Amino acid sequence: MNASQTAKISQLLQFSDSAFPVGTFSFSNGLETAAYEKVVTDASSLEQFARSAARQAAFSDGVAALHSFRAAAAGDYGKILEADKAIMLFKMNDEARQMLRRMGKKLAELGCRLFPEGMMKQWLGDIEAGATPGSYPVAQGLAFQAAGLSEEDLFASHQYGVVNMVLGAALRCVRVSHYDTQKILYTLSFEIDPLYEQAREMDLYDMHSFVPQTDVLASLHEKGTMRMFMS
Amino acid sequence: MFKPKGERYYTETPEVDFSSAREMQPYLKEPEQMYVGAPGKKGYLRLGFELDSDGKSILRDLDRRVPLIAQQELYFDEAMPEMPCVYILSSGGPNVDGDRYEQIITLAKDSYAFVSTGAATKLASMRWNYSGMRQTIRLDEGAYLEFIPEPVIPHAHTRFISDTRMVIHPTATAIYSEIYMGGRKYYNGGELFAFDILSVCTHGERPDGEQLFREKFIISPENGHLRDIGVMGGYDVFANVVVCTPPESAEKIYAATEPFIDRKRKLAAGITHLPSDAGLLFKVLGQEPAPVKAIVRDFCSKVRQAVKGKPIPPEFPWR
Repeated sequence: MNASQTAKISQLLQFSDSAFPVGTFSFSNGLETAAYEKVVTDASSLEQFARSAARQAAFSDGVAALHSFRAAAAGDYGKILEADKAIMLFKMNDEARQMLRRMGKKLAELGCRLFPEGMMKQWLGDIEAGATPGSYPVAQGLAFQAAGLSEEDLFASHQYGVVNMVLGAALRCVRVSHYDTQKILYTLSFEIDPLYEQAREMDLYDMHSFVPQTDVLASLHEKGTMRMFMS
Repeated sequence: MFKPKGERYYTETPEVDFSSAREMQPYLKEPEQMYVGAPGKKGYLRLGFELDSDGKSILRDLDRRVPLIAQQELYFDEAMPEMPCVYILSSGGPNVDGDRYEQIITLAKDSYAFVSTGAATKLASMRWNYSGMRQTIRLDEGAYLEFIPEPVIPHAHTRFISDTRMVIHPTATAIYSEIYMGGRKYYNGGELFAFDILSVCTHGERPDGEQLFREKFIISPENGHLRDIGVMGGYDVFANVVVCTPPESAEKIYAATEPFIDRKRKLAAGITHLPSDAGLLFKVLGQEPAPVKAIVRDFCSKVRQAVKGKPIPPEFPWR
């Protein structure tokens, strides 16, 4: 089905919406602990925390999503599996790996309904058979390719998803208002382009991430008892 | 020992070349001082441990090129007197512009060893090129390695890249620890996070080639975000400890290690599982190297306790 430009914009909004049923709302990306430990206390510290999450995701999940998107365009299923394996070997945090797999499987299930033709069915089959971990960024790449959206659309949606996940959680655990979170979301949107310019050139082996403070917070969450969010 | 190659002389050791790494592209000019790979700037060290006929773990294989030096194994560990201990030294002082190093540490079946450095590794200021280090750590069945070097101190405008390949048998345990200081904090009014780039990649695999994990971090102060919350925040020292170990010992160590944030002492530590059930990853943040070193050593002692049933003794007071 050839979608018009307006249909494509609508689909981009649909796939990026926090109501898109992949379970984004269950995760906080370490923010729950950051708030409890008083590392994030207000709009300014929240903006920094969200920026760090966006930057580290750009050079890891973002790269895997772009590689999956391009492999799907080329019909190269092997390369999709390669991207999936690479991102899972790269994710050092246990809860982050669980998050990627849970959301990835949900998107694969949903994708089979939206795009009955193409690779999504084979992809879900392989996840269910345990043949591949089935990470979320790789599923995003497949879905955006199937919908005929662009690489820029995919990357923007991926970044929006990461930041919006943190900000959505912030409304429940940090003393910030909707005005604050929307302003942060808007501010960070201007930072996506330079990240994309770097991420688009990167190989899977170039993926890198340096967020040690977030890693420590994630570890406290993993071993702790706080469970409003799953990460 | 030296062979002519064109008009220059090279030592007969493998090439260590990171020129294809994307992040090093701005740093590929030939230094105006001694050229890349010149004798004395191309360090090579091969350490091979194995059990002798009496079952004693010894340093059987040693090959080296300056500036890397290792002498003989010493048995000074009071809690584990059977442990061969080797210090890696560098006769050249700091790593300088255009240095290339290769270190290969191999532990044969059931052997064990402790490897450290004699002093902190200083990374000197660089203008043209970078300093690169390639390492291979290979452990056979039942082997046990503690690789716990002194911290790395990056000077202003240094560039450093390392690639560490860990080939670990499913029954072996390897501790691979790194401590990075933000710089010479008290020198010349403070040189904190004044380096150009540190690019560090550690990846693990089984002897059959099965990939286990791949961690890569690029610390680049010029992007302006190192002090952001989530990255270094207000901390100045960062430690990363990879522990490849079987799941049974991983669970014991994980249970014995509590992550924490101590706001008063400005210290924090976290632990998580490596992908592929390969072991654990422990991270520490702090303000000064001494307390970070102490936390790393205490954690490594938990690893030794879980695997060898013995602690690591307290550090020598002069270290």
